[in-house]
Amino acid sequence: MEENVIVIEGLSKNYKRWFSSKGTKALDNLTISVPRGSVFGFLGPNGAGKTTTIKILMDLIKPTTGSAFVLGKPSYDVDVKKRIGFLPDSPAFSRQLTAREFLNICAKLLRIPSEQRNETVEEALHTVKMAEHAREKLGSFSRGMLQRIGVAQAILNKPELLILDEPLLGLDPYGRQEFKQIIIDQQKKGTSVFFSSHILSDVEEICDRIAILKKGHLLCTGELDKLLAASGINVVITPGEDKVFKELMTDAEGSVKNPDGGWTLSFPHNNPELLKKIEDMKKESPDALAISASREKLEDFFFRTVENANV
Amino acid sequence: MNEIITIASGTWKNVLRMKVVYFLILCALVLVASAINYDVLSMGLQKELMIDVSLVLNSIAAMLVVISLTFEIPKELREGVASTLLSKPLGRFQYLIGKMFGCIVTGAVICALIAVGSFFIFNMSFGERIGVTMFQTHLLVILALIPMSALGVLFAVLLPEVIAPIITVVVVWFAFSTKFLAGIPVLYGGILPDLDLFNFRANAVYQVQIPWMYVLLVTLWGICYAAFALSLASIVFERKDIK
Repeated sequence: MEENVIVIEGLSKNYKRWFSSKGTKALDNLTISVPRGSVFGFLGPNGAGKTTTIKILMDLIKPTTGSAFVLGKPSYDVDVKKRIGFLPDSPAFSRQLTAREFLNICAKLLRIPSEQRNETVEEALHTVKMAEHAREKLGSFSRGMLQRIGVAQAILNKPELLILDEPLLGLDPYGRQEFKQIIIDQQKKGTSVFFSSHILSDVEEICDRIAILKKGHLLCTGELDKLLAASGINVVITPGEDKVFKELMTDAEGSVKNPDGGWTLSFPHNNPELLKKIEDMKKESPDALAISASREKLEDFFFRTVENANV
Repeated sequence: MNEIITIASGTWKNVLRMKVVYFLILCALVLVASAINYDVLSMGLQKELMIDVSLVLNSIAAMLVVISLTFEIPKELREGVASTLLSKPLGRFQYLIGKMFGCIVTGAVICALIAVGSFFIFNMSFGERIGVTMFQTHLLVILALIPMSALGVLFAVLLPEVIAPIITVVVVWFAFSTKFLAGIPVLYGGILPDLDLFNFRANAVYQVQIPWMYVLLVTLWGICYAAFALSLASIVFERKDIK
């Protein structure tokens, strides 16, 4: 059986307002699980309940009903946090402390032995490329630099699970690229990653599983490849095969001219006659065309799922 | 215990690195020193005036440190500093004790600097040795930080950022005026701390020594009251959503 690092069962959160019987329902009966070793993208429009879920996982917010388990322990277990790395959505730290002092405080709280502490802090600073700013006060840091220090404190304890709330926010393109590499490296080391993001292209690049939320309701969850697969087929036509191109062009949903002079045509997968016609042409002249399954873009899938949802 | 000291050290480093703290200490010492010029106005009692002013300014400094705590906790909760710290293996109660302990150490350092500066000015001005009573009264101001900072933590957890410092100031003022509140037995009987127990300015001025047993007992009372206030704060804080 696949072990899950996060198990959320029937989680609901209702924010009550003072002097009012009505509240705001941030989460409604959410149930998801995150397998060990995966990079899990947690998606949804603003106000979907992503941050609320993440804060419940970190025991910063108490659920109204339901339960959340992290690394096999209830989310309110203090000791389990030794094995988790967490980056809040807009990291803020004590302004008068230097980066190194702050990371030392985090290392002490994470109960990293004193003889390993300095080495661990230096390693984390190098990983996020902030070693040269280690002696500067956090109050003088830009948002992107704070985000890097936030990442450093999250990976200090070499966590089994990284929970990141909007980690790519505030980073420049170089920072985003470096950060994605950090996530990939962490996964290679065996760390499971659970993160929320609005940058769908990045999610598509690094995640193997996703969940989409809207107004506190789960719309879909599963392996990214399965969710985006089989939306149609792509046919790549070899340059100079104009006859094949003209014959297929009329039925194509889309066409793109390739740099080599050939064409890529896309077709829906729900037209058996058309598919048979393409397969027959492939048998007749195998070198003239290549067939591959087309994959839907996450962005298209996201908008389609969110807009069609009746919540 | 390590977690508490870690949070406390972060708190005192954060406050004691602000330049404004040392500017305020300097201002306090200038005010103490200026008492020497009030010989006519004080009818020759400038020595007593200087002792009194140094104790009053030390009490105000202690109060300001506690007020800064009532700003800091809600600010840390609002800005997300607390979220980062509480995402580590740190209990919420430990966070509160750490904050209170940090406040006490910060206040103790600032009050000690003002006290030592005042002793030096007193010695230079009048050429007299510092009596035990003067030392005891300044020590009591520092010890008053224990219940005061616990109150600060309680209000910081219970009330919004803007209201918490105001209520803290009002309650501390009432708590230093318990003779005025004697007619309200419920308040006098323990809900509000009796901070007047730590106020021995008259003894300092007239060099009447305070029994060390009293200092010990009042310290124990302060610790008990702090435990009571912190327990209340903790009950609320454990259930609080940290956004």
